[in-house]
Amino acid sequence: MKLKKILNDQRVVLTLLTIGLFIFFGLRNSAFFNVDFVIYPLLRDGATLTVIGLAQLCVLSIGHLNLAVGRMAAVSALVAGASYQYWGLTLVQGAILGVLAGALLGAITGWIIVKSQVNAFIVTLAMDFALLGLVTFIYVTFTGATAAFTTKPAGMDYWRSKSLKDFCVAGICGPKSIPMMLLPAIICLILVSFMFSRTRLGRELLSTGSNLRAAKLSGIPVENRVMTAHIFSGTLAGIGGLMLAYANGSFTAAIGSQVMLPSFLGPVLGGTLLAGGAVAVLGTFIGTMMTLVIRQGLSVQGIGLETLNIALGLVLLLALSVGQIQKMFTSIKLRGKK
Amino acid sequence: MKLPVFFRNRMTEFSLSVIFIIGFLALVATSNGVFLSRASLQGFLTYLAVPITIGLAQMVVLCIGQMNLAVGTMGGVSCAIMAVLMADHNLPIWLAIFIGLFSATAIGAINGALVVLTQLNGFIITLGTYTILLGFQYRLVKTFTIDKYPSSLPEFGKRNFVGFPYILVIALLTAIALSLFFSRTIMGRRILATGGNPIAARLSGVSNNKSIFIAHTLSGLLIGVASVITISSLPGINRSIGGDWLLASFAAPIIGGVLMSGGTIAIYGTVIAAGVVRLVDIARAQYSLDPSIVSLSVGVVTLSTVALSEWRRRRTERQNEGIKGSP
Amino acid sequence: MSAELLINKVSKEFPGVLALNEVNLTLTGGTVHALLGENGAGKSTLIKIITGIYLADSGSLKVSGQEKRFHNPIESTHAGIAVVHQERNLIPEFSVEENITLHNPPLKLGIINRKERTRLAKQALETLGFEIDLNERVKNLSVAQMQLVEIAKALVTNAKIILLDEPTASITGSETSKLFDVIKRLKSQGTAILFVSHKLEEVYEICDTVTVLRDGVSVLESKSLADYKQGEIVDLMVGRHLAERKNIIRKVDRKATPVIELKNLQTSLGHRNISLSLYPGEVLGMYGLVGAGRSELARSILGLHAITGGEILVNGSVVKIRNFTEALHNYRIGYVTENRKEEGLFLDFPVRKNISVTILAKILQRLSVINPKKEDDIATKYVDRLGIKVVDNNQLALTLSGGNQQKVSVSKWLAAETKILIIDEPTVGVDVRTKASFHELITELANEGLSIILISSDLAEMVAVADRILVMRRYEIVGDLDNSKDYQNMSRSIMNSIQAV
Ligand SMILES: Nc1ncnc2c1ncn2[C@@H]1O[C@H](COP(=O)(O)OP(=O)(O)OP(=O)(O)O)[C@@H](O)[C@H]1O
Ligand SMILES: [Mg+2]
Repeated sequence: MKLKKILNDQRVVLTLLTIGLFIFFGLRNSAFFNVDFVIYPLLRDGATLTVIGLAQLCVLSIGHLNLAVGRMAAVSALVAGASYQYWGLTLVQGAILGVLAGALLGAITGWIIVKSQVNAFIVTLAMDFALLGLVTFIYVTFTGATAAFTTKPAGMDYWRSKSLKDFCVAGICGPKSIPMMLLPAIICLILVSFMFSRTRLGRELLSTGSNLRAAKLSGIPVENRVMTAHIFSGTLAGIGGLMLAYANGSFTAAIGSQVMLPSFLGPVLGGTLLAGGAVAVLGTFIGTMMTLVIRQGLSVQGIGLETLNIALGLVLLLALSVGQIQKMFTSIKLRGKK
Repeated sequence: MKLPVFFRNRMTEFSLSVIFIIGFLALVATSNGVFLSRASLQGFLTYLAVPITIGLAQMVVLCIGQMNLAVGTMGGVSCAIMAVLMADHNLPIWLAIFIGLFSATAIGAINGALVVLTQLNGFIITLGTYTILLGFQYRLVKTFTIDKYPSSLPEFGKRNFVGFPYILVIALLTAIALSLFFSRTIMGRRILATGGNPIAARLSGVSNNKSIFIAHTLSGLLIGVASVITISSLPGINRSIGGDWLLASFAAPIIGGVLMSGGTIAIYGTVIAAGVVRLVDIARAQYSLDPSIVSLSVGVVTLSTVALSEWRRRRTERQNEGIKGSP
Repeated sequence: MSAELLINKVSKEFPGVLALNEVNLTLTGGTVHALLGENGAGKSTLIKIITGIYLADSGSLKVSGQEKRFHNPIESTHAGIAVVHQERNLIPEFSVEENITLHNPPLKLGIINRKERTRLAKQALETLGFEIDLNERVKNLSVAQMQLVEIAKALVTNAKIILLDEPTASITGSETSKLFDVIKRLKSQGTAILFVSHKLEEVYEICDTVTVLRDGVSVLESKSLADYKQGEIVDLMVGRHLAERKNIIRKVDRKATPVIELKNLQTSLGHRNISLSLYPGEVLGMYGLVGAGRSELARSILGLHAITGGEILVNGSVVKIRNFTEALHNYRIGYVTENRKEEGLFLDFPVRKNISVTILAKILQRLSVINPKKEDDIATKYVDRLGIKVVDNNQLALTLSGGNQQKVSVSKWLAAETKILIIDEPTVGVDVRTKASFHELITELANEGLSIILISSDLAEMVAVADRILVMRRYEIVGDLDNSKDYQNMSRSIMNSIQAV
């Protein structure tokens, strides 16, 4: 009975599925178990995409979308990069500045949505356009043909390439496969999860997402909450942007240009509702990892880009319908009983 | 001031028309009339046909409260199929066009069937099919440009009817047909009912699953039409076709007044909004603006257009609240 | 007369509740049959089974002598069953006439015949004596207007069997009497009508036979209504003897500073010269016909619509209330909406979270973390106090019966412990027992010092609980009457002030 309940949890199913897929790919091609070339980068990418997924999740909680997550990440990387290159800030100072830039963008977006009453889809779409223009313009104007800030502050490579193996307490070191980059992701996961499940703010966000009018009539400051959600989204996108840049090793306009769709996949696969009112924070991490395992697994098999896409889409659809298929089975079983 | 019901419900479309006319005249004035020359007018109108049809394709899905993220790759695949059939297999044009339309419709139907069977949001399903179709598109076109098909097709794309390119006429006729479908047929009304309030629709004998299926299929058909328009207005087909459709397909209907939550359509709004977006494009070419500045201004224009109509709508709504009561 | 509809030993179970337990019901042509029971007794569930929305777990259903099993509403419509559900089910973006003909739009050559559609809709509305622009979109209508559209929608189908689930819950006396004329005419034409209502006066006025449900069991099956007194029926519904409540005239200090005072208020919606005062511990009733502008006035006070003239005083000082958040936190005013589904509830939240939403600030521990125990305790307190029928506090609001949803919507404001409470149609769809205890509760709260504005279209309720009754008509106050708590007297003077002018 208890086991059945656990198996009905989408997160458990997804985790099992991810592990199953991982083993499957590894058995087919043992190169997939390679720590340096597969597992470490997989987890590092997973960490980054999880944070960006959480940025999306924050606005999904109130029933909005943020189509500009990637571009907000780019701006944050841009600001940090510029601060290292021109102002000689340290790693941490630049990072803080970058994240603040993300938060500010989120605040602006939220403010526009609240004031204009225009759908978040449109506002963030327009924001995406505007920031795309801005970011490209700045890189090209300041760095000319290279279109990148290349100054690396001290400590940047630590996040890029170090793992728990380099983190020793009393002579015991962690496994080599766990990247340091996972640390900020885990902190974000814990904080976001805590906020939504335990705090007043989280409850108010979810109430706003569940029924805006009821929330408003219940005295929840819904306009502020819309702002809050977008500020969180911008902040997390900013953190994600920095992680992308550190992993990448340089600051370019291309940062964040590939993350818009993945930012939805993680939360939604994990069980977050697009309509708002319910979020799945841990699910975001699992969902993100699953998409990455599929993508990496397929590409390790050495199939071409075309086939990779086809297979990726098919597996995704299948994984997404898992919950549904499960429900179908249970209802058939129930009917069988009667 | 109490506006008649008809007019009150069409505030957005009205503001857009005004914006379109002003924008158009501004372009004419600043270009010293060059914009009115046959060639540039022709260019404006020809490349208006695709945004209109893909906007409508997205609108059809928006009106049941869902999205179609696969518009671009569906169009890309259907164009690729037509091009390959004509160039490599020497199929006659009409047959290739028929197969192109059919395949887009079939993909739409598959989307619809998947949404109904899995009961998942269309957003997710079409995200999946998007990826799959991208793979197919790359397979079909590889890295080439396919243009070895009868030249009568691109030539047709250049022909016009008293200054109106035939392909724009096709797009407009499609819009009219769609408008009749939604206003006058039972199926059309049922789809809208599903979008407006699925529970109420179900209680009134509407099959929501059928509505969802038909809406996605119809979206596929419209993408098929867009593909036919594309293949006849371009010199060749490569793998980038459809790559920039997604945002455009949302921009037109949503600026045109369609709600993301479903239940509404705005065909004239979508058409005229596509026109406004097209004007911005033209302006870019005309003033040879930096693309980054253009994307910035597209962002700003989109926002202000919508904000304006939203403001109008709310103002009229406030005026009308007074008449709510009094039975 | 033959039995149009025969229900035999129908059962239906939901997770945690047996909603129907071997229920029997016989519905005959040419009669109006009352289906009575407390909130959550299973009335709506039975109607949903008859119309194919739910499938019965066991039991049988016969329509005109033929055994049927409906799997969806389309099948039941084809079998000649029309229904007005308890919850309004209209397409907001569609016009009035289209909503009315939604089941079966008239066609010509496969295309919708608009002329015929207009004619049908007009005819249905005319029989209800209800005038409205047929092209108006339903989303712009008031709750009562929507309800009338919903009834018209059932009338156009010319069904043999009509099921009405609380059709009069949100309309006023005059509309109700028009509806009853229609029901009587249909009855004389041989239609079988099932009528659900919590207003027993109405039931006695219009119904011939009766079935009473209690906790899913039919404790009285298809008997003649005339054989039972009102008290007996109530006892059957409740399962014990219910004492009648005495109406006491309360003392209110009208010399004190009013907690809320309006002076010549004017709003963008068209209210003119609204002046009123609410004194500490007073229950001020606001009565009026549908569309009199009562809810709109309340919402304007709370900042939802623009105030264009006059002033609002709270505790003697002029204030400007911009939104509900300010109203709640700065002035301690609460508003219980009449529109529970759209504005009162978070349907996909559990009952617990619905009740605690207004008091999150009060149940925090460190780091602004919500204390789960306190939250649960408060929820339990109001679940008990109002007798909300739930499996546990974590049941989703979505799965409660209509009346219980209403109670949840009210509880959240009781929990907020405000100084002023504006209650809009609180007992719509609430059963007799709860209504009585609810009225007691209002009086109790007023005795504790809460000042209450009660908006209600239920005259009996008004007379039972209000200390003073304001009568509104077309966005103006046309009467201010001290409540003598004598129903006959009060109803006459209220009607007089509405008809005067
Ligand atoms: N979908 C559902 N899931 C779980 N329980 C349900 C569901 N629908 C109804 N119930 C439960 O079934 C019981 C009967 O509900 P029903 O709506 O039939 O009551 P009712 O007699 O119509 O009450 P009311 O007068 O309040 O409308 C209630 O306890 C309710 O909580
Ligand atoms: Mg009910």
